[in-house]
Amino acid sequence: METATDKKVVIRTRDIAKVYHESKIPVQALKDVDLEIGEGEFTAIVGPSGSGKTTLLNIIGGLDKPTDGRIQIGGTDISKLNESELIDFRLHNIGFVFQQYNLIPVLTAKENVEFIMLLQKRSKHEMDERAMLLLDEVGLKDKADVRPSELSGGQQQRVAVIRALASRPKFILADEPTANLDSASANNLLDMMAQMNREEGITFIFSTHDQRVIDKARRVVTLEDGMIKHDEVRG
Amino acid sequence: MKMLITIAWRNIWRSPGRSFVVIGSIVVGIWALIFMLGFMNGFMISYINGAIQHEISHIQIHHPQFKDDYQIDLILPNQKAILEDIQDDERIRAFSARSLTNGMIASPRKAQGVRIYGILPEMEKRVTHHDSLVSEGTYFASDLKNPIVIGKDLGEELKVKIRGKVVLTFQDEKHNLVSGAFRVAGFLDTTSPMINKSTAYILKDDLNRIAGLGSGVHEIALFLENPETEEVVMLKLQSNYPKVLVESWRSIAPELELFLSMTDSFLWVLILIIMIALIFGIINTMLMSVLERFRELGMLMAVGMNRVRVFAMIVLETIFLSLVGGPLGILIGWLTMKWLGKSGMDLSNYSEGLREFGYSSILYPFIETSTYWTVALVVVFTALAGALYPAYKAIKLNPTEALHTV
Repeated sequence: METATDKKVVIRTRDIAKVYHESKIPVQALKDVDLEIGEGEFTAIVGPSGSGKTTLLNIIGGLDKPTDGRIQIGGTDISKLNESELIDFRLHNIGFVFQQYNLIPVLTAKENVEFIMLLQKRSKHEMDERAMLLLDEVGLKDKADVRPSELSGGQQQRVAVIRALASRPKFILADEPTANLDSASANNLLDMMAQMNREEGITFIFSTHDQRVIDKARRVVTLEDGMIKHDEVRG
Repeated sequence: MKMLITIAWRNIWRSPGRSFVVIGSIVVGIWALIFMLGFMNGFMISYINGAIQHEISHIQIHHPQFKDDYQIDLILPNQKAILEDIQDDERIRAFSARSLTNGMIASPRKAQGVRIYGILPEMEKRVTHHDSLVSEGTYFASDLKNPIVIGKDLGEELKVKIRGKVVLTFQDEKHNLVSGAFRVAGFLDTTSPMINKSTAYILKDDLNRIAGLGSGVHEIALFLENPETEEVVMLKLQSNYPKVLVESWRSIAPELELFLSMTDSFLWVLILIIMIALIFGIINTMLMSVLERFRELGMLMAVGMNRVRVFAMIVLETIFLSLVGGPLGILIGWLTMKWLGKSGMDLSNYSEGLREFGYSSILYPFIETSTYWTVALVVVFTALAGALYPAYKAIKLNPTEALHTV
């Protein structure tokens, strides 16, 4: 099973639809979305506000359920999983990076990086070693014992990325990861993620309208009105 | 679990002001609970001890039918043997054998009904300590012939003074009315309205002589070394002397027992009120804390923290608050009890009213050690109960919605 990028398909959505019924008029956020993502891809999902980027990312990440359609991740049909199975699935397969960083404010940078590994019940030695290694790789070793409030936005987002990475996920889903960063920090972060993608083979999927991210992406999926308009694979 | 504990502990110090408000309310709640329990205990003990020490004693022995109508001819059977028996019993600190009848007391100004006790003062004062409660005059220590000691209020009612003359009228053993003139030797000021208003004490010899009772008595009152031996002593006496009626203070004065159980119920109501107030305080604060961290909780659930852990984290935060506030409240409560238990609470401003109900004007609040444990458990339980709704609210959040909360 190969995609247009000739990689093994790890995420496949079929006829995904999502309708929100929060107001009197139903809102169709996604419609008939068929998407295949190959292993190790560095994909950006782009589109204007309200095009359904975040909804699609949430559905791929198992945070939200589609109204219709199926979604398979690594051979598992996650639309059939119940709430606790989904939490467990996310814990072991998916890393999240959020626009607002969302670090745990009462934990230090190192403790934040260790947090998901702890939920995965990794050994203390392994957590310690991996957290320090990753902090070193992103140049934050000397900030290991510092709480998020004492870090800059860029530094916090770097911690958020290595927190997602530390748990050795199959995919990292990043929702507007650079939206709150200045150019230098954004470029730095993107380089770091591109390097991890290359070296560790982790699949990255971004939802973004930041041109800097789009420029670095090797595949750009454009959503409009909840449907895929373009799917461009770059060399 | 260790990380959960770390996060929960650090979380409560994110808003130190708010945490201190909760801790403060827990401390005040516990202190109020301990204080009220101690105060009620002191109140209850003062009332019951007053009644036992100055009026009814621990155990009384009568002729089985005597108390039906206080018939003067129903004297106590086996009196001599019983007295010999209890004299040798080390569990009995003091006892008093009394003649007893109802009659009239008359002064030149007024007459009224009265209960008349014929006593042996030396014996009696070791049981009822009335010698220490004489407000005016003496406790049968004067050279007066036919001395009588009456309640202070009764004296005022009759408008008699020390050495004043009163006449007692009652039935003799053949149910004829007989009278005797007595001179007031002293006035008693006790915590018992019954003694203060309608009781007269004369010498047993005087009562028995006028009533023609010989050496008979109607009542033996026993004061025990240790109140806990009450049942054993009663059982022994009742089995040795089946023809007499042996009663404890509980059956002699059932209102005391009722008072005890009422106080108990009142205390539970009080505990419940304080607990409810505390629960709402905790719910309010923890709910605020949960709502403030909606996005963070959403993130925790998004990255794989299951609902059980989120629930446990919120409950742990509440328990930590109560673990800081609980011991502090108990310590302050304990110190208050220590201090008030020694110095007492002077309620003399209200003593007139209190005496009407048989209370002493100085109360000594106290609390048994086991009660502190009960209070500690109540606090932990309250904290747990208060944590449930905020924790439920936390696990019910939708991670996707929570992540987009500003």
